[in-house]
Amino acid sequence: MTEESLEGWAPEVGDAISLEELVERAFDYRGNVTVIKTDGTELEGYLFNRDRAAARPFVQMFDRAGDGPHDIPYSDIRTIHFTGKDTAAGNSYAAWLRTKGASKPASGGA
Amino acid sequence: MSVPLSQMWAVTSYVLTQKLRGRRRFPLVLMLEPLFRCNLACAGCGKIQYPAQILRKHLSVEQCLAAVEECGAPMVSIPGGEPLMYPEIGRLVQELVARKKYVYLCTNAILLAEKLAEGLFEPSKYLSFSVHMDGLREEHDEAVCRDGVYDQAVEGIREALARGFRVTTNTTLFDGADAFRMREFFDAMMELGVEGMMISPGYSYSKAPDQEHFLRRRRAHELFSTMLSNPKRRWKFNQSPLFLQFLMGKQDFECTPWGNPTYNVFGWQRPCYLLQEGYAATFQELIETTKWETYGRGSGNDKCRDCMVHCGYEPTAVNHTFGSWRGFRDTVVATVTGKF
Repeated sequence: MTEESLEGWAPEVGDAISLEELVERAFDYRGNVTVIKTDGTELEGYLFNRDRAAARPFVQMFDRAGDGPHDIPYSDIRTIHFTGKDTAAGNSYAAWLRTKGASKPASGGA
Repeated sequence: MSVPLSQMWAVTSYVLTQKLRGRRRFPLVLMLEPLFRCNLACAGCGKIQYPAQILRKHLSVEQCLAAVEECGAPMVSIPGGEPLMYPEIGRLVQELVARKKYVYLCTNAILLAEKLAEGLFEPSKYLSFSVHMDGLREEHDEAVCRDGVYDQAVEGIREALARGFRVTTNTTLFDGADAFRMREFFDAMMELGVEGMMISPGYSYSKAPDQEHFLRRRRAHELFSTMLSNPKRRWKFNQSPLFLQFLMGKQDFECTPWGNPTYNVFGWQRPCYLLQEGYAATFQELIETTKWETYGRGSGNDKCRDCMVHCGYEPTAVNHTFGSWRGFRDTVVATVTGKF
């Protein structure tokens, strides 16, 4: 299975994607993101949780230093950029098998 | 089945107490992940793909103990990440044993001999090292994407057994697994002297690099039927025989996602050990606010369709044992005869 990485994606909330959809993408992303708030401030870190059903929907993040969790209401978010490395991309099993095969061609593998 | 009588009794009395209290959803095993950091990067694992600041984080012993108390499950499984890399693993295990929790420390055993030599642990009926072994040398080293790990694990197992510890193995099987090689593997583990083995098909983590080798349900039934038909008397499994029958297609169970709740640096994971659909701040919140009806095969949730993993179905099997005469009879027969 191949999955296109969102690494480097810097969308703006609008017709193409809603804030709720963008939060879901960020929640599913295994790298740091940068949340750009409506007041212009930014927080970069790992977005590990969100609650759309809460009375005041919010996301939760650990910042780049690992501090947190920081709770940010949806209403304070202007957009989210996928600024950190996608740690789930690459490093595949197939690549490992190729490496193993290249180094030990006679020993079999999968 | 190789579970010690005292542990069987503890689990039995716990389950019956929950049923007498009319508790509909209760935990059986707490999956306590004190850290995500690991010294391996297995292709089938979706647990370690995080930014550096998350991999550096770990729970405090106090956070772990608070989660154990809040959850109340009689058994605590400590996976991860690699728990032997957790700086306070010795104290955590000591505290859990003092609370009479049955602890399964799930380890790849790379560091096991070293940590035992440091005197970090004391043998106890409450502590079992559950060593990750995905087959014989060739299969295991391939699964963990590093040569030599099987031999290190065997060395760790021997050292732990020599020091009087309980040792079990846990094995995850993927598509392409050879049932006959696995039967040889069971022989090898029994010869090593482990107390029992745990087996389960893998789950297709959406973030795991290897997406092509996870077992679909029909293939899983075929594989486990071949593997477990005519089991040798000396094979001991540290899990419910009804779960093994389920893997063989002889039992039709639904998932019990709350049976093995997961706590880690993010909180209480919804809905289960394998899916990450969000986090709750407390165990009570997890139980009361998770939309359980949207999970499990019967829900039609695509993510649950082919899942047969022990953390969802072993609690169902245990519940079945104590929930009906047929379940109790099937369990007794399988335990006494050694046939699944």
